[in-house]
Amino acid sequence: MTRTMRATRIGLLAGAALVLSAAGALAQGTYTIGISNTVQGNGWREEMICAMKAQALASGKVAKLNIAHRNTDAAGQSEDIRNLISAGVNAIVVNPADPSGINAALKEATDKGIVVIAVDQAVTEPSAYIISNNQEEYAYLGAKWLFQQMGGKGDVVYMRGAAGASADSDRDKGFKKALAEFPDVKVAQEVFTGWQQDQGKQQILDFIATGTPFNGIWTSGIDNVIVDALVESGATMVPVVGADNAGFVGQLNNVQGFTGAAVTNPGSIGAAGVKLAVDILDGKKPEQKVVLVEPQLWENATEEGKAKLKAAADPSLSPEWPVSIMIPGWTDYTKEQIVACKGPGE
Amino acid sequence: MIRTLRRHAWVTGLIVLLVLLFVVTKLIQPGYGAADFVSLTRAVLPYAFAVAAQTVVVIAGGIDLSVASMMALTSVTAAVMMAGTSEEYALLVVPFVLLLGFGLGALNGILIVVSRVPDIVVTLATLFMLQGAALLVLNAPGGGAAEWLKALVIGPVPIPFLPDAVDAYLPRALLLLVICLAVVWIPLKRSRIGLSLYAIGSSELAAFRSGVPVARTKILAYALSGLFGAMGGLSLTMSTGIGAPIPGPYLLASVAAVVLGGVTLGGGRGGLLGPIVAVFVLRLVRTDLTLLAVDPNVTTIIEGVIMVIVVMLGAFLAMREKRS
Repeated sequence: MTRTMRATRIGLLAGAALVLSAAGALAQGTYTIGISNTVQGNGWREEMICAMKAQALASGKVAKLNIAHRNTDAAGQSEDIRNLISAGVNAIVVNPADPSGINAALKEATDKGIVVIAVDQAVTEPSAYIISNNQEEYAYLGAKWLFQQMGGKGDVVYMRGAAGASADSDRDKGFKKALAEFPDVKVAQEVFTGWQQDQGKQQILDFIATGTPFNGIWTSGIDNVIVDALVESGATMVPVVGADNAGFVGQLNNVQGFTGAAVTNPGSIGAAGVKLAVDILDGKKPEQKVVLVEPQLWENATEEGKAKLKAAADPSLSPEWPVSIMIPGWTDYTKEQIVACKGPGE
Repeated sequence: MIRTLRRHAWVTGLIVLLVLLFVVTKLIQPGYGAADFVSLTRAVLPYAFAVAAQTVVVIAGGIDLSVASMMALTSVTAAVMMAGTSEEYALLVVPFVLLLGFGLGALNGILIVVSRVPDIVVTLATLFMLQGAALLVLNAPGGGAAEWLKALVIGPVPIPFLPDAVDAYLPRALLLLVICLAVVWIPLKRSRIGLSLYAIGSSELAAFRSGVPVARTKILAYALSGLFGAMGGLSLTMSTGIGAPIPGPYLLASVAAVVLGGVTLGGGRGGLLGPIVAVFVLRLVRTDLTLLAVDPNVTTIIEGVIMVIVVMLGAFLAMREKRS
């Protein structure tokens, strides 16, 4: 028994010492900001994290970021948030797994005087600030353009995001709003891609294999693989709406005979959350608790749209990263800083 | 005293490890205190029930891959039934959901016994079935939970005549966990059925020849697993106030904690205390990694490495003990 104790103690202390020394020295600034995210390995979310790091570094006011970033559910995110509270952070920027499932943990944080900001998706906890892309408008803008391209009639494939995510339900509202304006447009197929590239591609290939005719595809941001699937399977090119992911924007510029539109949905919204957190910690509170960033639509059907797309394209970015890596007024970093993906003290 | 410690060497070692981890945590974050311990137990709760569900089956020589799906299904069922209803109605929902878990678990056992298909295959099939059923009940996270249920896991237990500083360290979530597990496990372990569980786990044939009702015991093991799974599902609904149909990371976590807790995967050996302490160890490691702000892409690697080291060390010491 004593042997077990001694051995585990030595091992443990050695491990702890290693981790402590690896944590390293800290940079300038005074605030510690905690970040909680529950989707790992997704291009959009990775850009969000990099934007948060870059903004924290560029602000010069953040000493350290404490990032809890893993694939988990609302209960796991509550655990992460409570760990961040234990870590004594000044603010928590969270991309919520569920609009209400983490309220209890968020309330505990704000009760302790921690500034809580939900980015990308809303939460129902009233003490939290929310800064989000306007998801309803995102879907409405893209869907309306798509239905116009389809001549106001025909069958559309509706490729949604993740079931239950508030960004997905908000987008569904916008999509349905556009659908109501075009009574002759029918939804041929509705699927949840879970915002996973491989899953989305499999789903569209399965659908093409059924031979059901369709006249347009609306995607919730899993877009470039859909165009790939259309090209590879030799199916008729139909208009596709996606997000401003670098890969998709490249396709809009380069794929022959392909019409489509990219709706901006900047992952850099994460940086806006960090900026808002720093502002509030500095004593500059915003007038409203909810800030929405409005999307833009870039299409390749008109010359004007093509020019916008050309200007936006950035082949140096990872194809899954949104090209709108900055939001005017909300981000202070340079492109080099976000691509480097280094936070304060790294 | 020494003899009991020796007999439960693994569990004692784990408890020592846990205490050491608390010391490390306090060193990393000097402010770590009662409120943080309460948070830890709330995080532990769903994992602890998942690992209890897995432990019962593993002791009986099986494995249950449907644990996480069972939790998802029972969680959404509870959340849907409680949405917009009165506080009293939840008093009916809780036993119903527990019964549902028990019944579905028993179904797992019956399928295994009757079809003679290996446990891992049958429970893999039920994993998908229960997951589908959960999505049928609720296609997206939602529903609700009674306020009194949510309050069951919030904060410490107020004990009269004790200073606040002391009873702050007794979280309600921990009390709930201990009561729920003890009510099922202690009478079971002391009964003939408990002995049968270990017997069929050690050797099904020997147990059968000694007159142990193998089929009945196995079905009961899976039914209890379902019951613990339902408790886990309820604990998820309690802590989030909603039900989520997509299973969380509880299946692999439950197997990990079972192994770390000193339960032999082949069956017949181990208890419930070890795996539960192991859950605390694993959650506290996660807390420490967050406190240290370790690169999130590295955390899972560290968690895995720690687990392998502890298990290997344990096996090594056990081997040396045998030889000497």
